[in-house]
Parts: sequence; structure tokens; C-alpha cells
Amino acid sequence: MWAKLALKLFSREFRRGELTVICAAIALAVLTVLTLSMVTDRIGQSIAQKSSAFIAADRVLASSHTIPADYLTKAQEYKLQTAKLTYFDTMLFANDEMQLSSVKAVSPEYPLKGELKVKSSLTGTVEVAKQGPSEGHVWFSESVFYALKVEVGDIVELGAAQFVIEKVLVEEPDAPFNIFSSSRRVLLNEADIDATQVIQPGSRVFYRQLYAGDEDDITSFYAWLKPQMKENQQWYGVKDRQSPIANSLNRAESFLLLAGLLGIILAAVAIAVSAKRYCERQYDPVAMMKTLGGSRTTIRKIYLLHLSMVCLLSVLVGLVIGYGLQEIATGYLAKSMSNSLPAASAKPWLVAISTGVICAVMFSIKPLLDLFDIPPLRVLRRNLGDKLLVSKVHLAMSGLTVFLLMWLFSNNIKITAILFISTLILIALLFGLSRLIFGGGRKLGLRPGSSWSLAIASIQKRANANAVQLISFSLAIKLLLFLVVLKNDMISDWESQLPSDAPNAFLVNITESELPEVNSYLAQKNIQVSEFYPTIRGRVNAVNGELVAREVSLEDNEKKDEEARSGIGRELNLTWLADAPAHNEIIDGQWFTDEAIAEASVEESMLARLDVKMGDTLTFLIGAQSFDAKITSVRKVNWATLKPNFFIILSPDVLADFPATYISSVRIEGEQKREFSELLRNYPTINAIDVDSFVKQIRSTISQVSLAIGFVLAIVVLCGALVLISQVQASLGERMQEIVILRTLGAKGRLIKNATLYEFLLLGASAGFVAALISDLALLVVQKEMFDLAGKLHPHIWLLGPLAGGIFVSVLGYMMIARTMRKNTQGLLRSLA
Amino acid sequence: MSALSQLNIIQVKGLSKTVTTLEGDLPILSDITFNVKSGDSVAVVGTSGSGKSTLLSLLAGLDQSSKGEIYLDGEPLHTLNEEARAALRAAKVGFVFQSFMLVQSLTALENVMLPAELAGEKNAKQQALELLEKVGLSHRVEHYPSQLSGGEQQRVAIARAFIGTPKILFADEPSANLDSKNGKLIESLLFELNQSHGTTLVLVTHDETLAQKCQHILQIEAGQLVKNTSEVIANVG
Repeated sequence: MWAKLALKLFSREFRRGELTVICAAIALAVLTVLTLSMVTDRIGQSIAQKSSAFIAADRVLASSHTIPADYLTKAQEYKLQTAKLTYFDTMLFANDEMQLSSVKAVSPEYPLKGELKVKSSLTGTVEVAKQGPSEGHVWFSESVFYALKVEVGDIVELGAAQFVIEKVLVEEPDAPFNIFSSSRRVLLNEADIDATQVIQPGSRVFYRQLYAGDEDDITSFYAWLKPQMKENQQWYGVKDRQSPIANSLNRAESFLLLAGLLGIILAAVAIAVSAKRYCERQYDPVAMMKTLGGSRTTIRKIYLLHLSMVCLLSVLVGLVIGYGLQEIATGYLAKSMSNSLPAASAKPWLVAISTGVICAVMFSIKPLLDLFDIPPLRVLRRNLGDKLLVSKVHLAMSGLTVFLLMWLFSNNIKITAILFISTLILIALLFGLSRLIFGGGRKLGLRPGSSWSLAIASIQKRANANAVQLISFSLAIKLLLFLVVLKNDMISDWESQLPSDAPNAFLVNITESELPEVNSYLAQKNIQVSEFYPTIRGRVNAVNGELVAREVSLEDNEKKDEEARSGIGRELNLTWLADAPAHNEIIDGQWFTDEAIAEASVEESMLARLDVKMGDTLTFLIGAQSFDAKITSVRKVNWATLKPNFFIILSPDVLADFPATYISSVRIEGEQKREFSELLRNYPTINAIDVDSFVKQIRSTISQVSLAIGFVLAIVVLCGALVLISQVQASLGERMQEIVILRTLGAKGRLIKNATLYEFLLLGASAGFVAALISDLALLVVQKEMFDLAGKLHPHIWLLGPLAGGIFVSVLGYMMIARTMRKNTQGLLRSLA
Repeated sequence: MSALSQLNIIQVKGLSKTVTTLEGDLPILSDITFNVKSGDSVAVVGTSGSGKSTLLSLLAGLDQSSKGEIYLDGEPLHTLNEEARAALRAAKVGFVFQSFMLVQSLTALENVMLPAELAGEKNAKQQALELLEKVGLSHRVEHYPSQLSGGEQQRVAIARAFIGTPKILFADEPSANLDSKNGKLIESLLFELNQSHGTTLVLVTHDETLAQKCQHILQIEAGQLVKNTSEVIANVG
């Protein structure tokens, strides 16, 4: 019987709109979480796939010595895909021509991630190859064709074997830079290595094993592999590569997660407000039912059934709308990026459903428990139970739930704590501000009966309710400002790193004698070129006389061997300069003076990796010669500038006598390509590395992330609007009473309208101002700590906040009230009854 | 159960109610004793704040006394917990309030059926329709409270009070919120149904004229019973 009554009440309450707001709020939470986490998940997967493509795998094991084949067998046992690569340089012979080229021998599984792009002839169209060359065949980069004067189908000698040239190699996923005309690359089937007899004891050969698969499987495999690894072996993933794209991806991931948290907070506010309002409106019916003999158990069953139905219905609605929204969003993203996004995993569904259920239960259970406690005596004493209106337990529970949800969703206690604490500070400040405003009317000396004094009186009268509204508005505005500013800063930061005239090719291996001619040729052809830096390959061999160990792995979170000083495990490009590069920042010490002797300037991350500090002495090994240099400055390097950058720069006195080649970066526009190729033909020892497609990839990712941020922003704006609507709805009854009283006392319609408008304007502007201050402070911390951006204050938002807050709250609030104000007094009285 | 208690549907002995305030304990009712015979109509009168509504809340089991005993149809109300008091109300008590107290999301018919549904009765609809007809609202059964006038809402409340044929009806200023025409209509309906259903009526009012229509008057002033026209009480007293 109770169920029938409960269903009847539920359907009526729902039709009357009593439950609509709470349902909408839960649905909003669900759709926000589902949309965000699904879009994040799908973009994240896409990003991961793209990222993996940069190394053609998820992880790589690299060594200059043969890597045991049983690693691959073991990896397959861990359900991982594997591939094998071997790099060596060798001479190619054809048509009485010979050419030194870099050969990459690949197993049939290569590439595990990304695409190999080839052409069937030099003039053919680019197509994707599913795997590398078959046995007996080789693929050449375009420059090799020109150097050897061969065409597809010709025979070429590589070591002791002959091969048919099958394809023109256009793009390899794991080549960090694409091959320009003078980069001589050869792709060979791994099975043909023995036939070439090129690899002999003492040959300079590099080996790679590629792994791809589920992240958990990779972790398990690495746990097995780690103890077997030798000093000369290095394990890395895409995140370990210090590339601009990896940094941008990490930032994007952090940002989308952060946006997800903000959506949850807004939804939580809407749910808490709506649930409280719904329960308050049920006080009288519950008191009446108790008076008429309804037992506490019956009433509990009725309202718990309501909660379950609200939960079920709104979660379903949220899931359906959320799925639709993310389909539209991801469809748009996929279309604009000419790229299909992978299907979402089950995680977003689970996260969304549990968020909906948690929100429904945690934000409404306390008001519901209060509702069950409403005494039947309320039918005679109407104010009984009103003391439950402001429940500290409800506030604490809501706060705790928000914190736990934020933590669960972000999986980042630091960002959760920053957001949560900044919000608490905002709440405290707003309470202070509320008091100032509430006392302001009298101090301003406004004449009684003016719209402004009515507005302030109205704010004063509903002190507690308005404080809650002020806090909610501020929260919404704060989150909006936070997102807008963060988005702008991030995008402009990315944009500034990649200006439209960023270099798109590196010129390397320029001899000192070629330098003046190359420089004048580039100037003559109007090709933009950055500075020329002398370079020489060398290794850090010791620190303060102590030999450094070779670093074997870069796996995330792996602890260093405490006993050994970590090294970098490879040769570095060293340079020497009299003046500091313009795009580097000295963060410690001083740049070399003219009298500097044997000094070194070290990049900050290298300082950490070598575990050295200012004043330490580094011993360098170049060929068989070694020398010492003292660290006198530390530099911050922006690796994303695509200009030549160096981990270690030495003072000119140290390396001046060593034979060096020069490196620079150039910007080549469409028609300059031919002239640039001519330069390379004239100077065959100079190599050019094209980074144009690499830059395009970065730009495409930035554009994709920008779209995602815009989408997230739209959702947060929607959430903010709904919070505001729920707040205004909660105060509607009280406002109706006021309007009736004012009209009865003879107030003109215009006075009431203006008073209402000014009340919202004041609330919104105050909330906006404090929100701007708080969000700017939070931004400062978040930008510095989480996104590694230069933290800065944004005074313009201190104006923008109040302005946006005032307009947003007054327009939306006024629209909500307008219908009520149009009603005549009798209509209002009836609505109130 | 004695013969006297069978006659006396309400027995009140030494009833007191004290509330705790910041200034200390504040007595609302002190040592009230009276009985009400089954089928009688009793008016509880007094000035505002005299304690008459508190007396009503205690008699109906909506609140608990600080001291004293209340027997409702022989049931010791003062010993019952909230759930048992609710069950007793469901079985034997009807209410009419000054502010109607209808559930806004239920129609007139559903509001009348509500007590029966809460008590788990299955055939409440027919009885509710008959009661609505008696109060002259057979044409408004599907209307919601917000679609009814004040007088109509109170008539729905009266119909609701009589469903399940309660033994006792408590009415708190039933005509105070209505104009005199509707007020009189409601008053006559109350007495009519009181007589036809043999229900005991306890009516709280500050309206002397209305009080005079009852068989007995209990006058409360400053929490004390200062006047009791009931002969039964005199005999017992």
C-alpha cells in the first residue's frame, strides 16, 4: 500500500516540478562526468596511440649490444606485441655509385604503433605500408635514389648481398624527424642481416626491442625484465622523451582532469541545493502524514523509494544525454582532426554511474534524514523543524563527498587539495563579504523605498540564504574564470612556443669552411636561419673526479640506485658559446665572462640527472681526450622552440681547438624547398632534418586539445547556469511573499523589478569580484605547480569577474523571477498557498 | 477497564507541560485534569498563548507531556512511543487544522483517502467519495488544493478527518482562516458530521460563539484549567 502511495506522490511531485531540479542536477552530474571522462578517455587513448606512434611502440628497450631474444619470448607470454630493430651504417653500391647510408633492419611486426608511409615510385602517391620490406627487398629514402642514381625495381648491393629496391621510404613513425632529401635511410628486412655480413665483431650497431600492449601487462613484464637488464640497456616510453608533444599531452591530460573536477563541484552544489529544497518542501506533508497515523517506517520507505527513483531516472537520463553529447563532441573532434577516436573503455560509464549514485545519496541523505525527523507537531507549530534548515552535518558531508569525489576522479591529492582549500578560503571570504554587504545599506545612507535600499534590505533579510547563494555564485564564477584564464594561458603558452614562423628543418654537419658559403646562400635565397652553433660529440665521464654510472632505465617512478651517481648513458652534443642563447634563461650563477676558463653551463634537468650542483667539476671525454670544466651557471631551456638547444654549453676556451661541425635551424617556405635541395646537393656532407610534419603534429594536437577545452568550458558554463537556476528556484517562494507584501504596501512594479535586478546584480558582482581574486591566486599555484607554466596574476579578471558575475547572475536570475513578477497578487497568493 | 473509562473517551489526570528555555523551565500547562464523554463536543477556549493548542497537541499524541496521564479510548497515551501514538491516531483520531494542511501534490479525493491509505485500508475510495459528497465537493474530487478556495480546502480537510470513522476529532481553529460565510458552513458541517458519526469533538477556538455551540467548555488561562462546564468532571473532581 505504501508503495502505491509513494508512486502516486512521486508522479505528482515530478509533474509539479518538485523533483525536476534534483533530477536535472543528478543527471547533470552524470552527463558531465560521462561526457568529460568519455571524451578524456577517448582523446587520452588517441593521444596515447599517437604518442606511442612516435616510438612505434609503448616501450622500447635499447642497447648498443645484442639484446637477448628470450626477452621477446617472455614479453609474448605477458601478452605483449613485440618487434625487433637493428641499426647500422653501411655502404650501398649501384651503377658504379656508392653511398654511406643508415640502415634499419626491421622484423615483420614493425611498427607496433604508428604508420610506415611509402611510395611505389619517386613520383607516386604516398600510401601506408602494413609492414616493412619483405626478404630480399629494400626501401630507400628519396635522397638515396638520387645519390645512387637508381629507381624502384633496380638492384643494389648492401654488404655481401644484393637486394631489389621495392619502395620509396617517406615516413617512419619512430624517426623523430622525417627524412629530407639528404638523409640517407634504408629499411631492410631483419632476416636479411646475416646475408649482408655487415655486422662483424666491433661493428657500430644499435639494437632495439619494441613492446606494445596493455599497460598492466607492460608493468608486469617490466617487473620481470628489470632484474635482467644490463648496464648498456635502456628502457623508455614515450613520456620519457623530452619532446614538446609529450609535455603538451601531459598538460592536456591534467587540464581535462581538472575540468572534470570542476564540473563535479558545480553539480554537487546544484544537487545539495535542490535536495535540501525538496526536503524542506516535504516538511509539511511528512508532518501531516505522521499526524494522520503514518508510521516513521512507512514515511521512510516512501521517501527512500523517491530517492531511488530519482537516482535511477536521472542517472539514465544523464547517461543517455552524456553519451549523445560526447558522441557529438568526439565526432566533431575526429572530423576536424581527420582522425577517428578509439571507442571508450568501461571506466567512464562506471565513473559516471557511481558519481550519480554517490551524489544522489550523499548530497540528499542528510536532508532526507532530517525530513524523517520532522515532528508531527509541526502541523500546529509551523516553524518546528526549521532549525534543521542549516545543517552542519549536511555541509560537512557534502564537503567530504566533494573532496573524495575530486580525489577519486583526479587521482591527484595535490590538485584536489589546492582546489578544495581555495574553495574553503573563498567560502570564508564570502561570509565576511556577506556581512559587509548586509551592513552596507545603512552605512550608505540610502533613502528608504529606493530600489537599491530594497535590494540591500532584501540581501540583509535573507542573510544566511544569501550567503549560501553568494558562495554558490562565486564558486560557479570562480570555476568559469579559472577555466577561461587557464585555457588562454595554456593555449598562448603553446602558441608562443610554436610561433607560425617556427623553424621547420635542422641543418647539421656543416664544416667550418662551408659555413660562410652556406650562410650567404641562405641569405641570398631569403631563407630564415637561426644562429649557427659549433657542436662536438662528447660524454660526461666524471663528476668531481668520481666516475658516473650509465643510467639503465627511465621507467616512471623508478628509484635510482643510491650507490651510484646517475649518468646520461650517451654522448651529448656539446657546444661552446661566448654569449648565452637568447631563448635560454640563466636561473643560477652567471654566464661566462670574457676571461672564463674551463667553465660549463648546464641545463637544469641535466643538473638533476647528473646529481651535480653549481661549482662541481665535470670531466668530459671527447674521443680519447678528456678535460675538466667547472659548472658556473644553470640554464632553463625551452625545448619546444625547435631551435638548437644544448644540455651543456662550455666556455669558448675549452673546445676552441677541437674540430667541430655547425648546426642551425631554418624556416623553409613552400617554394624555397627546391633552393634548399640545391644547397644540399652542392654540399653533400651537410644533413638536413625536416621537422615540418613534426610541427604539424604538435599543432594538430594543440588544436585538438583546444577544442576539448572549449567543449569542457561549455559544459561548465551550463553547470554554472543550472546551479544558479536551482538557487533562484529555492528562493522563489520567499520572493513571492515579498512581492505580495510590497505590492500590498503600494510599491510600484518598477520599484520591485529594479530591486530584484539590483539584488542579483549586487550578489553577482560581489561573488564575481571575490571569485576573481581567489581563482587568480589558485591559478598562480596551479599553473606553477601542476602545469609548469610561468605563474602570473591577471588583474583584468578582477574587473571581468564582477562584470561577468553581475551580468550573468542578474540576467539569469531576473529571467527566472520575471514570470513570478508578471503574476497578479491573487495569482501569487494562490501559488504560495 | 472501568465503566467510567468506557464512558470517558478522553481522561486527563494531572497533565503538565514544561519547556526549557534559555531563561530556565517555562510551564505551559499545569496540573490539568478533566474527562470527555464519548460523543460529546468540547470547546477548549482561552486567550492567545494560554496553552490551548499545547493541550490539543498532547491530547492527540503529537507531543509528549512532562507529567500526568492521558487515556484515549482507554489507551494510556502517555506511555506510548511515537510509533504507537501514530498507530493510535490512525485508528481512532481525526484532525482539522486552521491552515487546512492538505498535501499539495494530491487531489481532493486522494487527500481524503490519505489516512486510510497510510493505515493500509484498501477500499477507501468509496468512503472518500461519499464524504466529499457530504461536504458538497463531489464535483471537485480531481482538483488539487491550489485549485480550490479556502473554504473548499477546509471542507476537504473535514472529509479527510472523518474517513475511517474516527472516535475522536480534534479541530484547531477550523474557521479562523475563512470568511464568516465559509466559516459558518465549516462549523455546521463539523457538528453535523460529529453527530451523525457519533464522533467526540474537541475543538480549540477563541471564538466564544463557536464555543457556545459545544456541549462543554474548558477554559485555559496561563496554563491552568480555570473553567470546566462538564458535569462528569464535577462528579469525578
